[in-house]
Amino acid sequence: MSTTTVESKHSAALDAAETGDAHLITVTLRVRRFNPEVSDQVVWVDYEMQMDPKERVLDALHKIKWELDGTLTFRRSCAHGICGSDAMRINGRNRLACKTLLKDINPEKPITVEPIKGLTVLKDLVVDMEPFFQAFRDVMPFLVTKGNEPTRERLQSAEDRARFDDTTKCILCAACTSSCPVFWNDGQYFGPAAIVNAHRFIFDSRDEAGEQRLEILNDRDGVWRCRTTFNCTDACPRGIEVTKAIQEVKRALLTRRF
Amino acid sequence: MSAETHNPVDAADAADGGVTPFGPDNPAPFIEPPRARTKRTPRATRTNFEMYGWLFMRLSGIVLVVLVLGHLLIQLVLDGGVSKIGFAFVAGRWANPFWQLWDLAMLWLAMLHGANGLRTVINDYAERDVTRTWLKWLLYAATVFTVLLGTLVIFTFDPNIQ
Amino acid sequence: MQIHKYDTVIVGAGGAGMRAAIEATKRSRTAVLTKLYPTRSHTGAAQGGMAAALANVEEDNWEWHTFDTIKGGDYLVDQDAAEILAKEAIDAVLDLEKMGLPFNRTPEGRIDQRRFGGHTRNHGEAAVRRSCYAADRTGHMILQTLYQNCVKEGVEFFNEFYVLDLLLAEVDGVKRTAGVVAYELATGEIHVFQAKAVIFASGGNGKFYKVTSNAHTLTGDGQAAAWRRGLPLEDMEFFQFHPTGIWRMGILLTEGARGEGGILRNKDGERFMERYAPVMKDLASRDVVSRAIYTEIREGRGCGPEGDHVYLDLTHLPPEQLDAKLPDITEFARTYLGIEPYTDPVPIQPTAHYAMGGIPTNVQGEVLTDNTTVVPGLYAAGEVACVSVHGANRLGTNSLLDINVFGRRSGIAAAEYAATHDFVELPENPDSLVVELVERMRDANGGERVTDIRKALQETMDANAMVFRTEQTLKQAVSDIAALKVRYKSISVQDKGKRYNTDLLEAVELGNLLDLAEVLAVSALARKESRGGHYREDYPTRDDVNFMRHTMAYREVGEDGEESIRLDYKPVVQTRYQPMERKY
Repeated sequence: MSTTTVESKHSAALDAAETGDAHLITVTLRVRRFNPEVSDQVVWVDYEMQMDPKERVLDALHKIKWELDGTLTFRRSCAHGICGSDAMRINGRNRLACKTLLKDINPEKPITVEPIKGLTVLKDLVVDMEPFFQAFRDVMPFLVTKGNEPTRERLQSAEDRARFDDTTKCILCAACTSSCPVFWNDGQYFGPAAIVNAHRFIFDSRDEAGEQRLEILNDRDGVWRCRTTFNCTDACPRGIEVTKAIQEVKRALLTRRF
Repeated sequence: MSAETHNPVDAADAADGGVTPFGPDNPAPFIEPPRARTKRTPRATRTNFEMYGWLFMRLSGIVLVVLVLGHLLIQLVLDGGVSKIGFAFVAGRWANPFWQLWDLAMLWLAMLHGANGLRTVINDYAERDVTRTWLKWLLYAATVFTVLLGTLVIFTFDPNIQ
Repeated sequence: MQIHKYDTVIVGAGGAGMRAAIEATKRSRTAVLTKLYPTRSHTGAAQGGMAAALANVEEDNWEWHTFDTIKGGDYLVDQDAAEILAKEAIDAVLDLEKMGLPFNRTPEGRIDQRRFGGHTRNHGEAAVRRSCYAADRTGHMILQTLYQNCVKEGVEFFNEFYVLDLLLAEVDGVKRTAGVVAYELATGEIHVFQAKAVIFASGGNGKFYKVTSNAHTLTGDGQAAAWRRGLPLEDMEFFQFHPTGIWRMGILLTEGARGEGGILRNKDGERFMERYAPVMKDLASRDVVSRAIYTEIREGRGCGPEGDHVYLDLTHLPPEQLDAKLPDITEFARTYLGIEPYTDPVPIQPTAHYAMGGIPTNVQGEVLTDNTTVVPGLYAAGEVACVSVHGANRLGTNSLLDINVFGRRSGIAAAEYAATHDFVELPENPDSLVVELVERMRDANGGERVTDIRKALQETMDANAMVFRTEQTLKQAVSDIAALKVRYKSISVQDKGKRYNTDLLEAVELGNLLDLAEVLAVSALARKESRGGHYREDYPTRDDVNFMRHTMAYREVGEDGEESIRLDYKPVVQTRYQPMERKY
C-alpha cells in the first residue's frame, strides 16, 4: 500500500489563492484506487485541494477528476441524493458522496473514500451492482393482484398507505446492503435493500403476493440472517428505518405461523 | 515514492516498480468478494428451519437464563456454596427426578443453543463452501457426542458406584 | 464489434423509456440500452406530481386541462397533441396506480390531488387541484414503479451501454431505421444493435447551463445522435427555467411547495407575485414566475448581500404539513443550506430545468425528418422529443404525464411496426463513425481541458441565453460557442484505458452539449418575439403574425465539410383554441 501526494502545481490551491477565496479550506481526499489496466494492486492516493467546506464530497471528487486526474472513476448522476449512483464508503461509513458536506466529516483530517464493500470492485469506486440487483429481482418487487382490475383506482385508506410509506423511499443505492457485515462475508444473503423492497409490497394493502414473498425471505439467505447490527439504518441516505423493516418482516413470518 | 511525476496515475504505476504487465488489453483480475449472488443463487428449500432456529435461540435463551442462574445459585451460593459440593451432593440431587430433568434440560438447551449459534457464525464467516461443510460436520459431531454422553450420564448415574 | 438483433431497441431507461419498454416487451423482442442503471434516471428527481383531470377532490375535466396546457405553452402547442395528452392523462394515472404506485390518498381512499402552477378551473377562473402526487417524490415513485414492472415483465436491460450513433439506411429512396451503435462502458467494446424499430427516450440536455436542476448525465445524447444523422431539432430555443431552485446549486424545490401554500418574497418581505399575476399569484406558469423573480433581482429587491436571490417562505405552514407533503425538499434545505424551513425562508433562484424542444415527432411518437415525413421505424418520447405538447413553456406536472402518455404510445407503435416490418440491412461498417469517434477521443492530446470548455459554455449560456435574451447576448452566445467548438477540436483525454473510461465519455458528452447549445442559440436569435420560456427584451411581445410556428433546425454540411445550421418553420396545429393574451 503506498500513498502518493500530489504535487502542489497540480493542486487547485494556487487557483484559489489567486482569486483570494478566503473561506476556502485545504482538504485532503485519500482515495482507494484500483485500475486493473494498470495494476493488480490497490493503491491509496492523496489529493490535496482548496474547497469550500459547504461543498460536497462529490464536488471534491469532481475537482479531482476534472482538474487533477481524469482517470479517477466513479458513478454519479443527479448530485442531490435522489438517483442513488454515488454510494461510497467515506471515512469508513457508507454515504452518498452528493449528500455529504465536507464540513460535516471533519475536513481537517484526510477524508478516506473507498468503494462500497461486498461487491466486486471494477475500477476505482465503481463496483459490480449486478448481484445487488439480482437480490432485488428475487423478492418479486412488484404489485401482484388477483381478479379483475377495477375501472378506477384501487381504494386505499390513508392509514394503509402510511403503513409502508417508509420503505417506498428506497433509491436502490446499496448503501445499506454493502454496510451489512453479514453481506460482506456472504453476498448470497438477500441484504437489507431487497428486504426493504419486499416489505414495501408485503405491507401494501393492495398486494396479494405477500405470502410468496414471505416464503422467499423465510429461506436460508433471508431475513433470519439479519443480526440487527443497525449498520443499514445508519447508512440509509433516505432515513429509512431499515432494521425495523426487517424486524417487521420477521414478525410477519412468525405471526403467520403461530 | 516518485511524487514529481506528471500525473498521479503514473505515480501509482511507479509504485509497483515502473512497468506492470497489465494494460487495457490484458487487465488484472478483479478482486472478487466471496460468494456473490447470481441468477442461480436462490435455491428455495421451502422449510421453516431457519425460522424455527431463530425462534429457538430466543426461547431457549430465556429458559436458559432461569436454568443457568438457578444452577449457579444452588451450586455456588446457597448452603455454604462451593465447599458443599461433593459426590454425595450430586448423588443426592440426581436421586430426585426434578433435578435430573433440570440438568437434562440445561444440557440440551445449552448445547443446541450454542451449536446453533456456532452454525450461524460458520455460515457468516467461513468463506469457502468446503470449509463451511467441514466445520459444520465437526460441530454437529461434537454436539451429538456431548449431548448423548451427558444424557447417558444423567440417566444411568448410579449413586452406589464402587 | 458485437452485433445484436432485436425487434425493438429503446434508448434510455427513464420514465419514458421504461413505460415504452413495458408495452414493447409484451409485443416484441425488446432491448433497453441505458447509460445508467435504470433507477438512476432523472425522472426520479421530479417531485410535485402528475396532472390528470380525475376530479377526485373537486370538479375538473380534461378539456380544461387541454386549455391550460395550450395557454401555458403560449399557444405554440400542437392542439391535437395536447388534447390527447389531457384525455389519456386519466388512464395514465390509473394505470400507474394499478401498477402499484403509492399515491397519497384522500380520506375516501382515492388518489389525492393538489394545486399546481398554471392548472385552472374553467379556463383560468381559479387554481384547481389536478396534480396527483406521492408526497414530493412523485417522480421517484413513478421511476420505481416502472422499474418494478419492467422486472415483472422481464424487460431485457443493457446497463451502462452508451448509445453514440443512430443507423439509418436508404431503402428505395426512403431513410429507414436500421439500428443503433452503443459503447459498453464496462469494457470499452462497441456493440451494434440491429433493430426494426428504435425508440429514443434519452432525456434532456440541460447540462449546458451552470445553474440547473438537471443531472450531470443529462447531456442530450439522443438529440445529438439524431442531429449528427441529419434529423431536425424542433423548438430548441424554448427552455424552461424553474422558478425555485436552491440558490446557487440549482437543486429543484417543487412547485408543489407553492401548491401547498408556499409564498415567494423579496427582500422587503413583499409577496411580489401579486403584482405580476393577480389571480394565480405564486402559481402562475413557470416562465412568468421566473421572469418576475429576475425582475425583482434586477430592480434591486433581491435578498442577500449580493441581492441575487429571493425567498421561498414556508414558515406559515404547519410543520406536520411540511413533513407529510414536502419531506424531501425540506430535507434538501437542511442538508445543503443548513436552513430549517419550519422557521426560516429558503433562498431560491430560477434554475434551468426542462427542454421543451427536441426531436420532432407526431402523436404516435414517430420521428419526423421534415415537417411531414416520418422516418419509418424511428420513435422518440419524453424530454428528448418534441410532440409538441409543451409549446413554448411546459406546465408543471405535464412532463411526468408526457413520459407516460407518449412513452406508452411510442412503445406500442414501435412494437407494432416491428411486427409488420422486416429488418433493414445494416450499412457497411455500421460502427465506423463510433469507432472513429472513440479512437479520436482516446488519442486526444491537444491540451484543452474538457472541464474548462464545459465551464465556459455554461457561463456563456447562463449569461446570454437564459431567462432574458437580446439580439446582442444571443450573438455573443453564438460566437462564444463557435469559439469553444474550435477549442473542443484540440481537447485531451487523460484516461487512455478501456474499462469505465468516464473521462472519454465526458468529452463525448461535451461535444453533444456544444452542438445542442449552438442550435438553441441560433434558433433563439432568429425568433424575434417573446413567447413562453423564450423572452427577448428587444422584442418583448408575442408576434403571432410572424412567429406562430415551430422552429425546425437542420444540420447542413457543405461541400468543404463546413457545418452550418439551416432554420425552417413548421405550422402549429390549431383545433379549437384561438390565441389570446396570456394572463394569470
